[in-house]
Amino acid sequence: MPSPFLTPGSVAQADDVALLHLRRDQTIPTILRATDDENLGYKEGKVSNTRFGSFPHSTLINQPWGSQIVASKVDTGSRGRKPSNKRKAEELEASGTTTGAEDSSSLKKPEAASSGFLHLTYPTPESWTLSLPHRTQVVYTPDYSYILHRLRARAGGTVIEAGAGSGSFTHAAVRAVFNGYPSEKSATKKRRLGKVCSFEFHEQRAARVKEEISEHGLDGLVEVTHRDVYEDGFLLGDPKTGRSPKASAIFLDLPAPWLALKHLVRKPASGTESPLDPSSTAYLCTFSPCLEQVERTVRLMRQLGWLDISMVEVNHHRIDVKRERIGLDCEGVRGATVFPKSVDEAMSKLLTDDERAKRLRTAHLEGTRANLTEEDTTSTPKDQTVPTYNLGRLVHRTESEIKTHTSYLVFAILPRDWSEEDEQKCRRKWPSDKLEAEEKMAPKTRKQQKKEFKELRLREQQEEKEEKEQQATETSEA
Amino acid sequence: MHSSIRPNQFVVIQLPSDQTRIVKLVPNTIVQLGKYGSFAANQILGRPFFFTFEILDAPQSDGYQLRVVPAEELHAENLIEEAEADGEGEEGESGASTPMRTNRNIVDDASTQKLTTQEIEELKKEASGAGKDIVAKLLESHTNLDKKTAFSLAKYTLRKRKKYIRRFTVLPLDVGFLTNFLLDQRDAQRTMELRDEHVGLLGCLGNVHHGGNSTLDAIPTIKPNGRYFVVDETGGLVVAAMAERMGILYPEDDEEEDLNEDSSAMAQDGTETTEKKTTSTPRRKRPRPMSASGNTITVIHAYSQPNLSLLKYFGYDINTPDESHPLHTHLKTMSWLQLVDPSTDPILSNEPPALSAEELSGLKASKRTAYYFKRNRWEKFRAVTDEARAGGFDGLIAATLLEPAGVLKHTIPLLSGSAAVAIYSPTIEPLTELMDLYSTARRTAFINRKRDLEMQKTSDGETVDFAPLSEEFPLDPTRLLPPTLHTTRVRAWQVLPGRTHPLMTGRGGAEGYLFHGVHVIPASANIQAAGTFRKKRKVETTSTPASDRDVEMTS
Repeated sequence: MPSPFLTPGSVAQADDVALLHLRRDQTIPTILRATDDENLGYKEGKVSNTRFGSFPHSTLINQPWGSQIVASKVDTGSRGRKPSNKRKAEELEASGTTTGAEDSSSLKKPEAASSGFLHLTYPTPESWTLSLPHRTQVVYTPDYSYILHRLRARAGGTVIEAGAGSGSFTHAAVRAVFNGYPSEKSATKKRRLGKVCSFEFHEQRAARVKEEISEHGLDGLVEVTHRDVYEDGFLLGDPKTGRSPKASAIFLDLPAPWLALKHLVRKPASGTESPLDPSSTAYLCTFSPCLEQVERTVRLMRQLGWLDISMVEVNHHRIDVKRERIGLDCEGVRGATVFPKSVDEAMSKLLTDDERAKRLRTAHLEGTRANLTEEDTTSTPKDQTVPTYNLGRLVHRTESEIKTHTSYLVFAILPRDWSEEDEQKCRRKWPSDKLEAEEKMAPKTRKQQKKEFKELRLREQQEEKEEKEQQATETSEA
Repeated sequence: MHSSIRPNQFVVIQLPSDQTRIVKLVPNTIVQLGKYGSFAANQILGRPFFFTFEILDAPQSDGYQLRVVPAEELHAENLIEEAEADGEGEEGESGASTPMRTNRNIVDDASTQKLTTQEIEELKKEASGAGKDIVAKLLESHTNLDKKTAFSLAKYTLRKRKKYIRRFTVLPLDVGFLTNFLLDQRDAQRTMELRDEHVGLLGCLGNVHHGGNSTLDAIPTIKPNGRYFVVDETGGLVVAAMAERMGILYPEDDEEEDLNEDSSAMAQDGTETTEKKTTSTPRRKRPRPMSASGNTITVIHAYSQPNLSLLKYFGYDINTPDESHPLHTHLKTMSWLQLVDPSTDPILSNEPPALSAEELSGLKASKRTAYYFKRNRWEKFRAVTDEARAGGFDGLIAATLLEPAGVLKHTIPLLSGSAAVAIYSPTIEPLTELMDLYSTARRTAFINRKRDLEMQKTSDGETVDFAPLSEEFPLDPTRLLPPTLHTTRVRAWQVLPGRTHPLMTGRGGAEGYLFHGVHVIPASANIQAAGTFRKKRKVETTSTPASDRDVEMTS
């Protein structure tokens, strides 16, 4: 089954994982099902209930991705359901009496509700990261985008990930290395297919990640192993005799990455196979929140011969953009500040206030009531030509809550395996003292080609002319 | 991407001064490194990347004049220091520590170094050991060396080493290294000051990835995957970055270089390729340019020719394309004129008449080539234009000098539902303006205005004219969710025992911002929003409603 993460197609299909976009930062992941698989007793089959209405999956399946979907009138109350799911508890608040489940053999056709909608989108690692069920601290987009770029995780590569955690990095990594589904392997020749080998030492989490991978159609692209990598290393299957993943990129999101480093060498001391690809450079990244962890890791990296060691942190934030209105004329406008917008406005306000005070004083002295209402209405002329969305100054500021620290990223590189034998072969192939004196002719540029082409045509035209002339002379001679 | 150095490939040479150079390694030639000396390209060809080589004073018997510096030696100082730090720590605990060295007695002038410039110059000529001797001598003849703290000593040694030691490291030229090279050592403005972290985030937000093997299964009912629009004013850096993500930047490993091959086999290989070029194989067999249906990049350019000159570093020159390169079929280019108004485009509007075989055989050879050239060019651009205007693209990635609103106006209708839009800008202003075009207030006003126009239609019974709508709203604010503005910056640290801190200086300049949104398809009927109302919405009748009320439900 193609994964909607990688090749979503144009319409949402049954059993695809889909994201229901409600509003900014509120997205619900769900598996689209044609039938009520968990037997929750809805007449319409499987239903997703949101704060913006209920959405039977029959209204979602076969809709183009990205569609705006209208909520349906779903009888959420009259089902014989035992309250088991906490998340769905809120729908019980809806009015209605419980009458028990009815025959669900024939699904009821959903009826559109008068209000409420959502947008049906296919999942991406980014949207999944924002909506996934948290089990551990999540590696967010700004971090993993930079990590995968620095790890040179590219189509056809193999990535080792430990630990899998909530699976955020897993999804991003599989997108980076994806270049075809394993079933297609027989059709192509010996092209290497991208793969993610994920390790997790927490049994339930590992099982959950495995389940998610299968639900998301990523079986075969991601191999989840329940393993303590500090002890047992990174071989697939059996820790001692298993296959090597032959990885070129490694991401360690572990509390003590230095304990795992001993397995990530070209020739492990235990005599087992190396998990690294012998014929490619290995790129490594560790993800640790504390400086002490970094220092220990870097130290061991130096001892193990890792090169180009560097440590960085990623500072990312989102920016809010809005229009800010300031002025004495925006009384009663939401979000606006009533304050003079300029010195001129302040001065005229001071003057009018002063005048008003004066008149009040004179009125008080004279013992009469001053009439001020008339003036007030004339002083606030409303500008009706400019629509409200275009009023005010465009300003931007950092979002109200930011992540000031995620983790320190340590990057390092281990060159490919190289033996004395390889070196000698190389020297035979590329003799050290062989030098070529003559310069090779530079390839023709487009301009040169054009010029030559023109010359060729010119010559031809001339030839033609000559030919004609010749013919002419011949005929005249005849 | 290869793990070892290949002939005729561009590589990055990193010098002790942290300067990098991009060099094309032509076999049997000499590579000059300025004051650090020179070496023969053959002596590093075939070797793994990331090796650090030291240039020896005298060649070995076979002419080999390099030495691979092992990792222990590169890290030697840090390893020793770390070991010492361990020892000191223990001493400190026992209480018998030596008094701490400070810089209070250090005289800040040049007289501390006894060697004169002249002497140093002479040393340079004589000294052996790839500059290590010079550094050692310099340290010896420094009068205040014993007064220096460990930190300043380390700094001094490092500085001198950077100046004199004859070493270099060979790195593969990929998008990451190229980005840094252009940023630090070339005119950063020309690549819009694009940094590594932007490249990574841009690709992720744009959801750019390999589209699978859709070209191979050739099932016509399924739409081809992995088609992206790219608008690139960085000279090809963004195109290269996206192509790298999609696995079409580097020529394929058809024959993974086997070390068992003899040098003769390699030589044969070389002649073979030249032969292939000279003896023209039948026309049909050659891959047509821009012919791939999936996993493609469609570059839209503002001038008549696209500027993708940076692709040359990856073996692809747009003017003299290498037909075996994946970009030859997977990179499509078109001008804005071809996309928006193809009937006025000079190439597309002048279709060369299709000639029959008879007519063709009557032509002169050169005329025939000219005809084929024109006809093929027209067919190529016609196909690209038709395919692009048919839409269904999986994403839009832009780093452009053009007004973003205009770019989105013409490309968003061609994106498939749920496709991502990611736009990079070195400065924030173009993107805040774009964000404002998608503001909630504007969207609400747009929806209401549209409803009013439709109401008029139902009363008149005629087709509705949305012209006033597009006049007032340059972009349809209901077609992109949720518009978000990002900024990101990576901060580098120095990690040394007891001396870990962020680097003291860094690059300033443009901060760099990214706009991200997802293309959605609004339902044809008007839908009332539901949910937590702050205030009940009234039925609006004015064209400019009090806008901010429905912030919650419309997004």
